[in-house]
Amino acid sequence: MLGIIIGVGAVMTIIAIGDGARQEINNTVSSLGSNIIMVNSTVYSRFASQPLEFQDAVDIKNMVPQVKNATGVLNSNLTVESAGETISGSVFGVMPSFFDIMNLDIAYGRRLDETDEEELRSVAVIGYNIANELFGRQNVVGERINVIQSGNSGSRKVSFEIVGVLEKTGTRLLFNVDDMIILPHTVADYRLFHMNGRTSSIFVSAVDENTAELATMATDFYLYRKFGDSDKYSILSQDAILEAVNQITGIMNVILVGIAAISLVVGGIGIMNIMLVTVKERTREIGIKMAIGATRHRILMEFLVESIVLTVVAGIIGMILGGLLSGLIAYFGRAFGLTAVITWKSIALSFGVSAVIGLFFGIYPANQASKLSPIEALRYE
Amino acid sequence: MAVMELKDVWKIYDIGEVKVEALRGVSFNVEDGEYVIIIGPSGSGKSTLLQILGCLDKPTKGQVYIENMEVSKMKDRELATVRNKKIGFVFQSFNLLPKLSALENVELPLIYAGIPQKKRREIAKEQLELVGLGNRLDHKPTQLSGGQQQRVAIARALANDPAFLLADEPTGNLDTKSGEEILQIFRKLSDMGKTLVVVTHDMKMLDEGSKIIRLLDGRIQSIEVNTVGNT
Repeated sequence: MLGIIIGVGAVMTIIAIGDGARQEINNTVSSLGSNIIMVNSTVYSRFASQPLEFQDAVDIKNMVPQVKNATGVLNSNLTVESAGETISGSVFGVMPSFFDIMNLDIAYGRRLDETDEEELRSVAVIGYNIANELFGRQNVVGERINVIQSGNSGSRKVSFEIVGVLEKTGTRLLFNVDDMIILPHTVADYRLFHMNGRTSSIFVSAVDENTAELATMATDFYLYRKFGDSDKYSILSQDAILEAVNQITGIMNVILVGIAAISLVVGGIGIMNIMLVTVKERTREIGIKMAIGATRHRILMEFLVESIVLTVVAGIIGMILGGLLSGLIAYFGRAFGLTAVITWKSIALSFGVSAVIGLFFGIYPANQASKLSPIEALRYE
Repeated sequence: MAVMELKDVWKIYDIGEVKVEALRGVSFNVEDGEYVIIIGPSGSGKSTLLQILGCLDKPTKGQVYIENMEVSKMKDRELATVRNKKIGFVFQSFNLLPKLSALENVELPLIYAGIPQKKRREIAKEQLELVGLGNRLDHKPTQLSGGQQQRVAIARALANDPAFLLADEPTGNLDTKSGEEILQIFRKLSDMGKTLVVVTHDMKMLDEGSKIIRLLDGRIQSIEVNTVGNT
């Protein structure tokens, strides 16, 4: 009984968390609309012969009419520092259109523009968390931030002036915007990354959702014509990202539910034992019922129904517990990025699973009961 | 019409090497409305005969007919139906279901017969009133005396209006007074034209019944028709 309660409760909670995670990821990935295309270089290195370059972003934008904006994206997790505080941040070297593509809102100051890019100004726009953790306040326009670069010859500080602070945003397209330090790609390349105009990724936005597929194809065509080899780059549309993420959460769900299923099986064996004891205890009753005309089939059904009722009741208790637990997780788990959503699907599944377990593990005891000889059963004390 | 007919019935138990012949060629008839007492000491084959009459067991050899149907050839499922509709069991130890009320106990064979609930209630109530328990419908067996429990069992046995009532030492677990009450009910039922078969070793039962069958060592020793008192 307890095994079934725990098992069903666990299945319910796990599915709720899984659905919650999926919903959360879907929300963050789709928060930009489904018109973003990500191009990743598979040969990104300082020495690659056919690298993906920032110029490609410019060319794609100019040559593909379905493309609205495109930017190269250099990204690295680096240590940043200001006024003695040191934290880790996600440093981006991008073109000004990055703000449009990622749909970023400025809280204070301004965004980066073409002049910053062309004149290699050492300026930065930072995310909510960076401002908060380094300075303990939001409006830090005019302050300076140091990016610490460690290489073979020791570490070195590169200083930038903060010209803008972003609104608290959360996750966009798998990146936490609040942890970003956004720099003009020219100055980021020159002073930090030293890639000579090469980039690891290009983000492209289509004119609208309807042209996204066409834009993806046209971008693919452009890249193939340039490289002559589809292995040198990969294109991820937002749909593909969603699909991949769903696949991963789906696999995780299956694994977790599998673990919970073990407790269900253990619970099922417990139910079987309870039913076997019940059959033994009620041997005389079975004999009486047979003597007054109950068929073997009738006895079988009586015990099967009892077993199913037992597991379904346990299942309902488990469901309530699982529901409460999911509620608690949804309430307190926010802080850890956990959510839990109970769907009709998970309720139906829990109900079905407990009934099936009752049926499956009830068959053996019920069959034992129905096979009793009425004479022996009547004689049983 | 013969309610029941046994023709050369043998029952042989295989207990490892040894074969025990519990019944050795038993033949007799029970006619409609008869009150038959089957009497014999322990080891005479009484219990075996009871099991065969009650369709709980099949003979090794010979035929058993109930209302001209050969039950000795029937399958389990058919036997269950015969037990349900044609035989009314009354046991020495009452064998009521402890969790059910008197009324529900009487309803049970009616459920197995597929009678709808409303009709079931009606019949069960009627039968309990017949045995004088019309005011004890909702009592559980533990709230009833032994004699009352046996009367519930009789009501249950009568519920499906069976071909005959089959009683196994019906007064064996009762004090003299309660036992006498049960015998009175049996007489009343016999007067109403019901067929009764009582298996016992109690010599006092010899005064009852219209036909006495004496059993000894698996054989019928004698069959006598009791004309005295017309009971």
